[in-house]
Amino acid sequence: MGLTSSLGISGSGLTAQRLRMEVIANNLANINTTRTEQGGPYQRQDVVFTPTTTSPFRFWLASAGVESQQPLGVQVSAIEEDESTPPRMVYDPQHPDHNEEGYVAYPNINIVTEMIDMMLARRAYEANATVIEAMKSMALKALEMGRS
Amino acid sequence: MQISGLGTPGIPPLAATPAPAKAGLDSFGDLLSEAVTKVNDIQWQADTAMMQLAAGEPIDLHQAMIAMDEASLAFDLAVQVRNRLVEAYQEVMRMQV
Repeated sequence: MGLTSSLGISGSGLTAQRLRMEVIANNLANINTTRTEQGGPYQRQDVVFTPTTTSPFRFWLASAGVESQQPLGVQVSAIEEDESTPPRMVYDPQHPDHNEEGYVAYPNINIVTEMIDMMLARRAYEANATVIEAMKSMALKALEMGRS
Repeated sequence: MQISGLGTPGIPPLAATPAPAKAGLDSFGDLLSEAVTKVNDIQWQADTAMMQLAAGEPIDLHQAMIAMDEASLAFDLAVQVRNRLVEAYQEVMRMQV
């Protein structure tokens, strides 16, 4: 079942990049959110990738009893809040969420950073899709060998 | 072809017991039907993925595409195996007695 596991590696990469894209989209959608359930402004979120040792395509791998410890792709282990930069303070006493000095705390999201992350996620997604195409063509080549 | 050992004369033979399932020693027909079942399972999983996608369930598009790719490759392989078998059979039938 080599083909299944190798396609599964790229599949996990595609899933991870797509989740990263959703987090970026969430960041951009909440770029001006000043009020959250925790009270403060929206905190920028970031994904944490870790290698996984089991394939996400488990349905037909389980029958083979594959318990390998080799890395078989990537998984998003956490979506963490980015605490490294403070919120952006804007002086606006008219805003309903202003603090006692008249400043409103806006999220620490830089639109340029998010756009670049978006491009990186897109390129990584395309790279994984290219890997799948290459593996498929290799498998078809192997099948052609049998065709006399 | 099984060659049974010489039994001790005078002792009645054992009652026929059902043969235990021996992995890897099944007949070729069993092997083939198992392979066909696996290919069918892969096709069914691809079908399920497409239906889930159409129903709007949270399945990624690329997962459905990968399932379809694997189903198509598994089916191609099965067709190639069938071709080889048919060729071998015809080769054998062509042999002159």
